[in-house]
Amino acid sequence: MSLATDSLYLAWRYLRHQRMKTVILVAAIATTSFLPVGLNVLVAKSGEELMARAEATPLLIGARGSALELVLSALYFESDPPPPAHYGEIDRILESGLAEPIPLHVRFRVRDQPIVGTTLEYLDFRGLRVEAGRRMARLGECVVGAEAARILGLAPGDTVVSSPESAFDLGGVYPLELTVVGVLAPAFGPDDNAVFVDIKTAWVIEGIGHGHQDLAKVEAEAAVLAREGDRIIANASVVEFNRITDANRESFHFHGDRSEHPVSAIIAVPHDAKSRVLLMGRYTDPDEPNQIVRPAQSMAELLETVFTVRSYLVAAIGVVAIATLATASLVFMLSFRLRKRETETMVKIGGARASIVAILALEVVVVIAMGLLLAGLLTLLTERFGSGMIRVLLTS
Amino acid sequence: MRGIIGRERGSRRASRRLAASAIAVALAVACTDVVEDPTPNRVDASGPLSVYVVNYPLEYFTERIGGAHVEAVFPAPRDLDPAFWMPPPETIAAYQEADLIIENGAGYARWMEYASLPRGRRVDTSAGFRDRWIASEGGVSHGHGPEGEHSHVGSAHTTWLDPTLAKEQARAIAHALVSLRPLARADFEAGLGALEADLDALDRRLARALEPFSREPVLFSHPVYQYLARRYSLEGRSLDWEPGEMPDERKWSAFGRSVEKRPARVLFFEGEPHAEVTGRLSAMGIRIIVFEPVGNRPAQGDWLSAMHLNIKRLAAPAAPGAMPSQQVDPQGT
Repeated sequence: MSLATDSLYLAWRYLRHQRMKTVILVAAIATTSFLPVGLNVLVAKSGEELMARAEATPLLIGARGSALELVLSALYFESDPPPPAHYGEIDRILESGLAEPIPLHVRFRVRDQPIVGTTLEYLDFRGLRVEAGRRMARLGECVVGAEAARILGLAPGDTVVSSPESAFDLGGVYPLELTVVGVLAPAFGPDDNAVFVDIKTAWVIEGIGHGHQDLAKVEAEAAVLAREGDRIIANASVVEFNRITDANRESFHFHGDRSEHPVSAIIAVPHDAKSRVLLMGRYTDPDEPNQIVRPAQSMAELLETVFTVRSYLVAAIGVVAIATLATASLVFMLSFRLRKRETETMVKIGGARASIVAILALEVVVVIAMGLLLAGLLTLLTERFGSGMIRVLLTS
Repeated sequence: MRGIIGRERGSRRASRRLAASAIAVALAVACTDVVEDPTPNRVDASGPLSVYVVNYPLEYFTERIGGAHVEAVFPAPRDLDPAFWMPPPETIAAYQEADLIIENGAGYARWMEYASLPRGRRVDTSAGFRDRWIASEGGVSHGHGPEGEHSHVGSAHTTWLDPTLAKEQARAIAHALVSLRPLARADFEAGLGALEADLDALDRRLARALEPFSREPVLFSHPVYQYLARRYSLEGRSLDWEPGEMPDERKWSAFGRSVEKRPARVLFFEGEPHAEVTGRLSAMGIRIIVFEPVGNRPAQGDWLSAMHLNIKRLAAPAAPGAMPSQQVDPQGT
């Protein structure tokens, strides 16, 4: 026991003395071990997470277009917004009695955080729990995901302003001040980065709903062009509110038929397998303006491409690993030859041959062990954080 | 060699601590994985259903139909008109947690337009007769900006004043309760049957009591009697007078001109009018009849007894102020 400890100690002292050589060897072994394993873990974990969310979302309905774009926008809030479908589709699904529809409106952002317009059913569907404050209750209120709250430095009671779609969009969507009423508990998924509002609030940001001065009142007289009986015609200078307060909330109203209002996707939760098949059958008509997508199938197709690329990469890394290990072996052998006089001195001062062999062997073992440990740590970090990076890469 | 080893013990312990910390960090990172909570099952089959409603008639109907199977909650303060009440966020949060949210529909309780409520638990009791909604009077349309002309006009919403529509609302409630508690279907149907019988009787009594008023034009203090007027063929026009308030002289002059053009001898008021109003109308030969829409809880009795009290007032002597205030038998016997 004492022989082993002492040999280990001397091996460790040698490696510490030869810092640069040790660091290079450990790094080389760690990298060659980590790359194939890490890549496998990364792809497998990312695939698992992407598939888990896709499988937890039974069906998605949206306007005809790229199915993958619809899935990535509805599940990860990251891709470009797909072409909008109409809110009336919700009523159509409800009337069919085949599924529970949950609308999603993903178009606007608060800085880099997506604003997700939806209904309370979405929070229940994803199992999102409010950690501080409460859920949104009124127009103009929002609930932020844990990560979004951290990044934007938000807590219940704070306000946040939606970002204009373009710095030069002076006449288009105008920023709306949102009141933060709750922060969600971490869900370790895309919901953590989102700012959730009622879908009606999303429509207000889009300009479909708005609040303005009461045109019948004296204060708005300057904006009135003409009064004809019950008709009042105002010019564009009428003051529109960009903050929803208790005082002006009742002035907010929506234009047009609600069934025509936009949604970017609808999550449909069928009541049973038969309802699922029947609902899918309703969207097979080529004249149907909407499509129905099984997110798991779309993600599986995407991941198949990723897996193909991975196998090529692993093969290439394998060749590099063999070359690296051969080089490391050469370094150890040359090192032992250069240290021949050192080992002879150790024999002369009474060191047993077995102890000297043990010291040299342990130097190799410790370097390999440190390399593998480092590779293991990197693999764990990859498992924890790598899938998020992959998702950003896939969805950006 | 041993001496050197002894001097370096501290350095070795530090190395061990470092290695232990690295392993602990690695394990902590590896173990950080959270399973999402499943969506909770909202309806607890053991206790009564939590049913939030938007006005008192719906609370009354829900209690009559649901009996012990429901806990109907109508959280609006007694002194406010629930149609224009703006509940605070805490109350909306309570609505969000209910098993069922019973709406009147037809634009009633406009706060719901601004609230985030779970769609799947909302029941619009007047959706089934949308084609019979009455457009509200006197709205102003306006146009500004690129979207052109639009109007904020809605529908008349005191639907329950037509008992045939109230019956349809009651059926919508019963249907929603049965879908949540199918095992209690028999109890719900029995409750609905009894309520429908009462509403039929109320309809007959209202028809008899209002028949004399259908022969000549009448006035309404507020535009809340549209469904009552349509059901019982009342020809009336609405003012904008608040019970308990004295209209200003401008309103009185407009009223005088209006009555001169289209004479009327009866004015239906939502509540007890200001004494001065009573006196002045009496001098003009106009009889006041208090007919409460009973959108909120009455001071005494329940919705049905309050409606029968309205009928009793209709039948009261013509002299202004001769309005009964005592509690009456709900069946009006």
